[in-house]
Amino acid sequence: MKYRIRMISSTHYDTSAPLGSHVLRVRPRTSANQRVNAFAVEIEPPPAEIAEGMDFFGIATQTFAIEKPHETFVFRVTAEVETNASPPAADTPSPAWEDVRRQAWADADGTTASPAHFLFPSRIVSLDDAITEYAAHSFPPGRAILAALGDLMRRIHADFVYDVDATDVTTTPVAAFAARRGVCQDFAQVMIAGLRGLGLPAAYVSGFLRTTPPPGKPRLEGADAMHAWVSAWCGPELGWIDFDPTNAMLPGDSHITIGAGRDYADVAPEIGVIVTYGKQALEVAVDVSPLD
Amino acid sequence: MTYVADPMASILSGYAPIEGVYDELVDATGRVRAHWRPFINALEHLGLQELAHRADGVARRLRESGVYYRAYDRDADQAWPLSATPVLISADDWRVIEAGVVQRAQLMEATLRDVYGPRTLVSNGDIPAAIVTGSPDFLRPMSGKPPVDNRYLYFYAVDLGRAPDGRWWVLNDRTQAPSGAGYALGNRIALARTLPETMHDLDVQRLAGFFQAFRAMLTGRSAPDSAGVCLLTPGPYNETYYEHAYLARYLGFLLVEGEDLAVRNGAVFLRTVAGLKKIDMLLRRLDADFADPLELNPGSQLGAPGLAHAARAGTVSFANALGSGLVESRALMSFWPRLAQRLLGEDLLLPNIATWWCGDDAARDVVRARLDDLAIAPAFTTERGGLFHWGATRTAELSPQDRAALLARMERRGGDFVGQELVTLSSSPVMTSQGFEPRPFQLRVFAAATEDGWVVMPGGFCRVSSRSDPLAINIQRGGMSADAWVLADGPLVYRSLLPAANTVEIRRAVGALTTRTAENMFWLGRYLERADACLRLVRALATRAGERDPEAVAVTDRLCALMETWGAIAEGDAEERSAGEAAAEAMQATDMFGAPPVLVRRALHAASAIRDMLSPDAWRMIKGLDRQLFEPMDGTVAETLDRAERALRELAAFSGYAHENMTRSTGWAILDIGRRVERGLAVTRYTAHFGLGDAGPSALDALLELGDSQITYARRYFVTASPAAVADLLIFDEDNPRSCAFQAEHLRALLDQLPESAHSDAANVLRRSVVLLEATMASRSPGDVDIAFTDELDAAFLHVATSFSALYLADHADTP
Repeated sequence: MKYRIRMISSTHYDTSAPLGSHVLRVRPRTSANQRVNAFAVEIEPPPAEIAEGMDFFGIATQTFAIEKPHETFVFRVTAEVETNASPPAADTPSPAWEDVRRQAWADADGTTASPAHFLFPSRIVSLDDAITEYAAHSFPPGRAILAALGDLMRRIHADFVYDVDATDVTTTPVAAFAARRGVCQDFAQVMIAGLRGLGLPAAYVSGFLRTTPPPGKPRLEGADAMHAWVSAWCGPELGWIDFDPTNAMLPGDSHITIGAGRDYADVAPEIGVIVTYGKQALEVAVDVSPLD
Repeated sequence: MTYVADPMASILSGYAPIEGVYDELVDATGRVRAHWRPFINALEHLGLQELAHRADGVARRLRESGVYYRAYDRDADQAWPLSATPVLISADDWRVIEAGVVQRAQLMEATLRDVYGPRTLVSNGDIPAAIVTGSPDFLRPMSGKPPVDNRYLYFYAVDLGRAPDGRWWVLNDRTQAPSGAGYALGNRIALARTLPETMHDLDVQRLAGFFQAFRAMLTGRSAPDSAGVCLLTPGPYNETYYEHAYLARYLGFLLVEGEDLAVRNGAVFLRTVAGLKKIDMLLRRLDADFADPLELNPGSQLGAPGLAHAARAGTVSFANALGSGLVESRALMSFWPRLAQRLLGEDLLLPNIATWWCGDDAARDVVRARLDDLAIAPAFTTERGGLFHWGATRTAELSPQDRAALLARMERRGGDFVGQELVTLSSSPVMTSQGFEPRPFQLRVFAAATEDGWVVMPGGFCRVSSRSDPLAINIQRGGMSADAWVLADGPLVYRSLLPAANTVEIRRAVGALTTRTAENMFWLGRYLERADACLRLVRALATRAGERDPEAVAVTDRLCALMETWGAIAEGDAEERSAGEAAAEAMQATDMFGAPPVLVRRALHAASAIRDMLSPDAWRMIKGLDRQLFEPMDGTVAETLDRAERALRELAAFSGYAHENMTRSTGWAILDIGRRVERGLAVTRYTAHFGLGDAGPSALDALLELGDSQITYARRYFVTASPAAVADLLIFDEDNPRSCAFQAEHLRALLDQLPESAHSDAANVLRRSVVLLEATMASRSPGDVDIAFTDELDAAFLHVATSFSALYLADHADTP
């Protein structure tokens, strides 16, 4: 599938900010089954210079400073992306989850993709006994990892209410779990907390979803905003497999990936440090339409 | 069994070593060890009584040295209790420790270079990847870009304990931002004053040379045209802030906070009143994760955005490098023997505590089998994620529920835990009311990198347990500190931190003044002067308490009204509150923004942020004033008056001190600008309330009293006060240090002393504000002072203050 992605984010400050430093993580990644044909970012007020970079987890970054007083900060992203990702077949054989756990802890890779980066609590995802016990029901001894992961994903989808007003970007998985509601970020982070509590490596994926479904298919939750899902390591043969607990599906060519990190803090589309007093108001709009 | 240590040493009678513990003082046969004998003889010579007498002074001497300790749960400053007797370390022992610490520092450095660089230790299978990735101090943004000269560590500390077999063991490594060297120095200075002759006779190795070498290393890596080496602190709320301020003063480094730093085009700058100055070397006492909200902890307000990028770009060095905390992990303890072989080709000279990382199945089985003999601890530097709330715990002491929970967690996530052999520490004598008693201790030793390799501080910081339980795990809470005296076995070469006379460069202004320091200086001046102005109102009110004469009552009503306007007392009905009650209320108010206690507390906050700029005496004065104003009071008129007068005397003492003892630096000028503005405002407002129009003798008397000008007036006029004559004295007389004209003249002179600013627009506004102030004053004669005039004058003083702030204290988005 080919898509055109348009995203606009504007932040309004109550009082003028004399300067701001920002990092964006909004460029879809290039991988074996995803290609970026065009990409552009526009920023207002325009910074003197934008430094393009790549972070530890291989996510493209744009770093810049706005060095004049401003009350509104806007960035617009346009991209054309082609994806032919497809989930593994339902009958794909997979190792017992305990074997995967042992291999992850003994991993001697240490590069970016190593499962060892994704075993531990992170800034937003702490480990929680209640979430771990919840997840454990999907992981009886010896169960194949793909089956267990699919089961946990479907349980979260069934037990949690999708509710855009219940949480915000700072909500912890512990709070979202207690409320049994939230948005894609919360669904993903609860699943990640549960997997890591069991000693399994799990990553947080940031990306986009196509806005209008193909004919005859239901509209997916989270399609008018940025989306997030889970990637779980399933042993050295299968590697990383994605799971979308918000929609109870294995992502295919409706999902466009920006990149994966340990939680939202690693992949936040924008991190900014500004000097201002008073409140900020943020508005984000996303549109992902199929091309031709 | 009680040992009689030495027949001649009666001061040791009753000294009984702890069973199964190595005692530093006496050997297994009960004899005093050879290297302690001269010391014990010296104490014997002094006598217990004299020693006890001197010990009483230790706390005071420690306070004088300026190293304080702030416990997180208290607002008060606490002196770290210091033992009056040191721990003596023989020259033979020291050689072992010194060589072992140097080796370990090299090992830590080599490990950091590999883990942040080529990662061969992981890919060769020497350590599992999870040992690295599990550490919260593995800072991924720093991976793959080595720091300047590929050097990670400049300063290293290690905690040692001596086992029953007499060997020294490593308990912990400290590489993040090791603390304690300043305390060790403070302890040494305090103890040197307690036992001066003893220390001299014993050939105790001195510490100054170590600090000199460390300073030379850092200053040698800072370009001459930069702002110099800066010590980056998290600020006054950090528990070791006083050590930061103390070390900064001792080493001659500028103490800075994240707010003082700006990153422009990948380089770090200091924000000073004279503009941006480049920084190339930061001695870091701020935990690395907090250094950069943009790339590291986004919740941090202690760092500066862009620091991580600057470190990668190589424009600045951090001592220690961002991410160095990684090698503090307990999980690494089990791998050090192997890593020493792999990286240095050597065996460890100092063994570390036997440790099993439970992320490895075989090691976990060992730990499970020996659970009750071991301590269980978090594998990485900090506890995280609520998974583990016990800290290091003796497994045998866990409740059955916690034990079951621990085993369940170890099953799922073994890699979060290590098992460690329980360590029995050695003991050293501490003086108690019952004479000398053995107490277990651990020794922190410090090492500094120099261009010629690592040097070890010949001394250390001992943490001494308050109980006789020798298990290292139990020493964490409570206790006291002790100095460590390393004995030389040859003649000592004395070195002081002061450079030799012929190498001293004459420098007049020391360092640059940061914008933040300037702001605190400015507000310190303003708050103190404002407190002074308000205390004068309180005093005037209290002396008029009980007056019935209508004219006097009119004066007290006005005093009350002015205090209400200033926010010193709540607004209320004058009928309901007597003059005495209002005065007492102001002295007791802790929630009114204009009341004296609140103003002094704010001055104290400003002062505490610039501790390194103030002498211990100046600090003590402000601290004492604050303490006095927050003591409980009954609220009688006599007490109110007494307290206000005492506070005014102390403020006058501080002014005198600042005037006589502070160098006329930019900082001093800014403190004085704050005071001059506030004094101008106070006198203007006094005049507006008591000196206008048909003011009678009582009001004019009050005004002269508030303006501290009765005596001058009486000597000049010999007659009853007249409004015009009083106005002349308080507003126009340039010779009266309380007059508005005097303040204006000084403001102009002080502003001329400040560095020129690149912000020409704001500089023009400030210049014009002083001209406007002088013009306002010139526009009237003493005979026609009215409310319109005092309003203008009031606005003119305020305009100077806001223009000053806009030019020197504001956040300019400028580039160097």
